[in-house]
Amino acid sequence: MSLLARDLVLVLGDGEQQVRALDGVSVEVQDGELLAVVGPSGSGKSSLLAVCGGLRTPTSGRIRIGDTDITALGQSLLTGIRRDRIGFVFQQSNLVPSLTAVEQLLLMVHLRGRRPGRADRDRALALLREVGMEHRVDRRPGELSGGERQRVGIARAFMTEPALLLVDEPTSMLDHGRGRQIVELLARECHEHKVATLMVTHDPGMLAYADRVVRMTDGRLTEA
Amino acid sequence: MFIALRDLAFAKGRFFLMGLVVVLIAFLTTLLSGLSAGLIKNNISGLMEMPVTHIAFEAADEPTYRASLVDRAMWEGWAGKPGVKGMEPLGHTVFNARGARNEPLELTLWGVRPGAFTEPRVTAGAQLGATPDGVLVSRILADKGVKIGDRIVLDRVLTELTVVGITEEANIGHIPIVYAPLPKWQEATYGPPGGMPPGEVFPDVVYDYVSVIALQLEDSLDKAAIAAIDEELGTTTLVKVDKSYIASTGYLEEVRSVGMIQYSLILIAAVVIGAFFAIWTIQRTQEIGLVKALGGSNGYLLRDSLGQALLLLGGGTALGLGAALWLGQFLMKTGRPFMYVPETVTAAVVALLVAGLIGGALSVRRITAVDPIIALGRDR
Repeated sequence: MSLLARDLVLVLGDGEQQVRALDGVSVEVQDGELLAVVGPSGSGKSSLLAVCGGLRTPTSGRIRIGDTDITALGQSLLTGIRRDRIGFVFQQSNLVPSLTAVEQLLLMVHLRGRRPGRADRDRALALLREVGMEHRVDRRPGELSGGERQRVGIARAFMTEPALLLVDEPTSMLDHGRGRQIVELLARECHEHKVATLMVTHDPGMLAYADRVVRMTDGRLTEA
Repeated sequence: MFIALRDLAFAKGRFFLMGLVVVLIAFLTTLLSGLSAGLIKNNISGLMEMPVTHIAFEAADEPTYRASLVDRAMWEGWAGKPGVKGMEPLGHTVFNARGARNEPLELTLWGVRPGAFTEPRVTAGAQLGATPDGVLVSRILADKGVKIGDRIVLDRVLTELTVVGITEEANIGHIPIVYAPLPKWQEATYGPPGGMPPGEVFPDVVYDYVSVIALQLEDSLDKAAIAAIDEELGTTTLVKVDKSYIASTGYLEEVRSVGMIQYSLILIAAVVIGAFFAIWTIQRTQEIGLVKALGGSNGYLLRDSLGQALLLLGGGTALGLGAALWLGQFLMKTGRPFMYVPETVTAAVVALLVAGLIGGALSVRRITAVDPIIALGRDR
């Protein structure tokens, strides 16, 4: 099992402003499973993503990615976990503006302290082909459409063979048709690479591609 | 440097402008170091070349070559002290004069004992001593048309001198030096206006005074020992290098003002580079958060950004330095007060690089403060 979270509580802010962004959340995602989390904005979806991705330390509860318990890890170890075990697909894709599509993928190799070799480049090109971007590998983000950027973002997430894929509102900047294509692609890649995938979305139209759907309200999860 | 190098190409306009600023600052810093060394040489080359360790002046808080007056008791007193390897009385007077073609000349007449270590080697002509009125002139005067065999007449005292030799460039207070036998200097300096009436001789007392005492002291003679001798003889002794240079007219003011411009430039470089990278880092905040979220460590990002700063700074400095050295070749040939001393140029360039890197480092430091959570953007 690739993501196991138990009784997560995340309290944000101080005093009067205090909010329980996560209020006892437990969730499991198996390898090759696409779990969608739906809910209105402010329900705690993003907090769940941040905690599972090691970007926020939960106030209480436990998180395991693969066979590693990340709950008690410090910042630099969490950075390493993000680099080696987790793939991220962000809202609006979030690419580095100065890098071409293929360089976005090769950056992941650099972050691991290696110079990309022939094999890394071949792998990056193969991933870009899988997402239908083989004809635009040398374009920078500014020259790509929103959908194309999101495809590059998905290819990047698979570059490091992650144990867990975290997807943040992948369709928020796309029209309905392109959004469907992207989620379809995500589902296919998730199944093909057998990666546990947690996708946060507010778009009910995308749920058809999910293996399982849970609903988040006021920091609590319910099976949809 | 994976991202840094691509940023340079991606934001070429911004980096080009910033690089140009670095080039110009490096260019000016290098030129100023040439001007600084050139001004120093132009002011005191006569002193720099003289093989002495110390100069003794008449006791004063801030002695100067122009105002100092020492007597025979003082210089003979110094000669007899232990630790004194060499002692020479030296006369220093600024004169206006007329050359062979009646052209006006400004010169510093230095009185030296012929054959002493205070007399420089000539590059043409003969050394001092063959005739009582024979003098050596600095190459600077030779460049202005003064030739061996020319007669120079000092204004007011009307002392006549004959050029017998030419020395290397030798200046003091920016005025070229003419080396005369000490008695001739004493007669010119202490004699009456218009010269001695015919048939009269100079009184002996004229020969008992000079301006300063040039000393070759052993290292064993420490500060306290020198101060004790000064106290006893009524002199103020300064180390030749730097300390006695300050006694030359204009030296301190020039060194200070050129130095101040240089320090300002280096400070400006630090601030400008710091400001550039501060803004650049703020502009990249989103990207930095993203790379951190993807697993980039602070170390990776800092190395990347510092490498970028170093590249910009190093490249810009190299270009500016190259341009300034190239231009300097021509300036040196024109006889302007300009000279490249490898040590001063290196010191200026290294100071510029260090200041720029400090400025850059202080700015990219804020990379560590960026929270990777910003990669999970909310509807942006």
